[in-house]
Amino acid sequence: MLDKPASALRIRERLLESERLMDETGCYDGITELHLRNQDPLKFETLHTKLRAYCVSAREMARRISASPGVREVGEMVVAIYTPEGDAIALSNGIMVHVHTMSRFIKWMVRNGYEENPQIRDGDIFANNDAFIGTVQVPDVMDVVPIFHSGKLVGWAGAVCHELEAGGITPGGDVALAQERFTEGLFVCAEKVGENDQLRRDYVIRCERNLRMPIYWVLDEKAKVASCIDMRESVKALIDEIGLDYWMQVSKEFIEEGRRAQLARTRQLTVPGIYRGHTFYGHVTAGKPGYQPLGDPDWLYNIPIEMEITSDGKIIMDFEGTQPWGYHSMNCTPAGMDGGMFVTLTQHMNFEGLVNDGAWMATELKLPHGTWTNPDNEMVATATSWALLLPAYGVFQRLLSRSFIARGFVEEAFVGQVNSPMIEMGGTSQYGTPFGMAHFECAAAGSGALAIKDGLDTAYVGWNPESDMGNIEIWEQNMPMLYIGRSIVPNSGGAGKYRGGCSFLSTWLVSKTDHLRLVTSEHSSRVFDNGGLCGGYPAPTCQKHRAVRDSNIFELAENGAPLAHHTGTNPYRSELEVRLEGEHVTLEGPYITAPHKTGDVFAHSYNGGGGYGDVLERDPVKTAWDVENGFLTKEAAEGIFGIVLDEDEEGFPVANLDATKRHRAEMRAERLARAKPVSEWMAKERERVKAADFAPEVKKMYASAIKLSPRFTRDFSAFWDVDAKSTFGAE
Amino acid sequence: MTSYSKEVIADLVAGTLPWPQTRRIMSAYKDDDRFFKYVAVLQERVGWKDPILLPVGDHLFICQSGDERVTKCECGHSFGDYRKNWKLKAAIIVRDSEETLREIYPNSDLPDPDWMEIREFICPECGTLHEVEAAAPGYPIVHDFEPDLEGFYRDWLGKPLEPLNKGG
Repeated sequence: MLDKPASALRIRERLLESERLMDETGCYDGITELHLRNQDPLKFETLHTKLRAYCVSAREMARRISASPGVREVGEMVVAIYTPEGDAIALSNGIMVHVHTMSRFIKWMVRNGYEENPQIRDGDIFANNDAFIGTVQVPDVMDVVPIFHSGKLVGWAGAVCHELEAGGITPGGDVALAQERFTEGLFVCAEKVGENDQLRRDYVIRCERNLRMPIYWVLDEKAKVASCIDMRESVKALIDEIGLDYWMQVSKEFIEEGRRAQLARTRQLTVPGIYRGHTFYGHVTAGKPGYQPLGDPDWLYNIPIEMEITSDGKIIMDFEGTQPWGYHSMNCTPAGMDGGMFVTLTQHMNFEGLVNDGAWMATELKLPHGTWTNPDNEMVATATSWALLLPAYGVFQRLLSRSFIARGFVEEAFVGQVNSPMIEMGGTSQYGTPFGMAHFECAAAGSGALAIKDGLDTAYVGWNPESDMGNIEIWEQNMPMLYIGRSIVPNSGGAGKYRGGCSFLSTWLVSKTDHLRLVTSEHSSRVFDNGGLCGGYPAPTCQKHRAVRDSNIFELAENGAPLAHHTGTNPYRSELEVRLEGEHVTLEGPYITAPHKTGDVFAHSYNGGGGYGDVLERDPVKTAWDVENGFLTKEAAEGIFGIVLDEDEEGFPVANLDATKRHRAEMRAERLARAKPVSEWMAKERERVKAADFAPEVKKMYASAIKLSPRFTRDFSAFWDVDAKSTFGAE
Repeated sequence: MTSYSKEVIADLVAGTLPWPQTRRIMSAYKDDDRFFKYVAVLQERVGWKDPILLPVGDHLFICQSGDERVTKCECGHSFGDYRKNWKLKAAIIVRDSEETLREIYPNSDLPDPDWMEIREFICPECGTLHEVEAAAPGYPIVHDFEPDLEGFYRDWLGKPLEPLNKGG
């Protein structure tokens, strides 16, 4: 089946030529006319559908080879087909964020002389998980294989899986404790890891020797290689059918059409102009074991975004004013930022027509050098980039949504994605063996509300539109913990006319182990890292951790006494404290502590999404249903939404419409009485700003933004009528 | 070309269109005549005559008010020139204490008020909550949206706006 190369490839020159043509003509690869599409549109569309079918089918097959519940259950995988220069032509569903990061990986090899050494030959397998070459974080390991036909490189097939264990300083894939690249885990830096369609034995041995749970990574490698070979053979058969010249032309026209479709879609769905928004992220690690004193232990990041939609339909996102990179695992490379943009666009604007790298080409990211979005130091850690990426692209979703609302496409407006905190673990498994893994039920957070309905409950994450939490039984097979609860968290969606989707909370009993390390990441401390829209509130996304060490749960079970199955709704005394005896722990920030053992209990909460619209307009009948089903509490219905609920004969909540109307009129009057003119508030607040009377972390945030960004400095100074530089000592 | 009646658009905007029908609209090709139908639906909803030029929120519109283009609340209250940030003319409630944050977040862990506050921007006339910001103390108020209104009407809708006498 292998097709030996006959001539020098010179793909590098072709890549440079393609980029030059794009610069000169403004069209992908200089394709100013879609000749093949115009000749036979039906054939054109059919071929793209076939390519997409190859991708979807290859991914489904590969998921059944994988041993990882992340890939098998939750679908943490994507595959795609590329041009020889590395531009995506067609992709599967799944973690579509990686379609463009893989493109960067291929281009990186082409630019760096891989044709000469180590050479690109039929049957070769190349792998990468280096974010500065092209991925988001160390667990996102990608494999690509070249596609040859008639001795010529005609494309690439690529696949990515999110690995549940990456061999870093803390167990799991999103290595929370990594503060530099050197503690993130096993790096594969654009390496040739296989030849003649076989993974090299020495590469597999390296994986086996450097990972806590190599079965996940190694079988995922096999799954990816199988999917790549499957796509490669399908493409070769297709070329036999349509001819090589046709393939080389049509594959490029697909991308150019994708680019044009994105521009047209922007002009169809949005309104040109400047859109602005922001979010924040807090990180608290002071006094936690393992953190090296390399930077501030506690910090606050601002993530401002200015989005311009130009009159030709181009979307430009500018991150100026955000914070510098740091000695933590949340930095992001331009590849990761690209990935965030790509996956957001595919969900929100490319829901029909061609989805490929053309969409990405119709956008531009402005990533200030030296910030977390574009570090000027390639030694930084990016293991938990998602912690900042998800809030950032949640802002992007809200900015896009405002444009949809302005244009009238209210059904597409969406308050956006949120972080979904990851829990990872390692130590001794319930089988007595060493183990390590990321628990991927986090791939099912609450979504932001829509402009016409509530958000999705426990069914959405930004990085994978095919969101899934996986079955309890599967997770229990893979970790020494048993579920004693998996519950909806009431009031966890941001309040609004339409509320954000609710999150869920898992409560586990540590079982059959005397050494279980639990680590969490991607949750903000002390600040919400999401927002609401058009009057909706952000979701409450700065949860603390709650655990009980040496609990009396076995004794309670033996006596048939009630157990705790969730943390409850009292923020001052959790159900764990009410029901269980033992050493109660409430911890802020990443959960990095001494190992747990059998009998300990741990609760972990995911996040809900932001709300849309004024709370006083929420539907009382829907709210009664929400209370009945545990999405809202009766107290919240009345206190936040002004909805008075009675009970029917069977005790179910029923909206009292007259009482609600009266209560809401009172609340509205109270709101007006309580509010003051913004000008009055600003005059008072300005004195505080002038005195820089803020918490040290807030002051540091301003000083850093001012140091890096002339625009932030100018805007801040103008808004408060102060000299920002001298106020924050950033001169 | 896909097209829907004004009644369907009205129900869609109100959130009352049955879900199966909404779902079909979401999955179908978009209706290119949406904008003016949408504006007509909103115009019927508001109790005033100034022509709506662009909705910018759930109850917030840029409209032609005599010789001026202003941002207006659905109740009729004007926040002034649409090119200026309407929030600066709004009323505000700031939640920067455990007590006031707890009113909105009854069960969850709260932000540290020294790190983050919740700002509610309210119409001073009718009390509608138009926008909420979650921001660090001292963070400038965001100007959410500066539309290229004239470019939009001229280049995208093909219906240029009448030139303004007062440069608005």
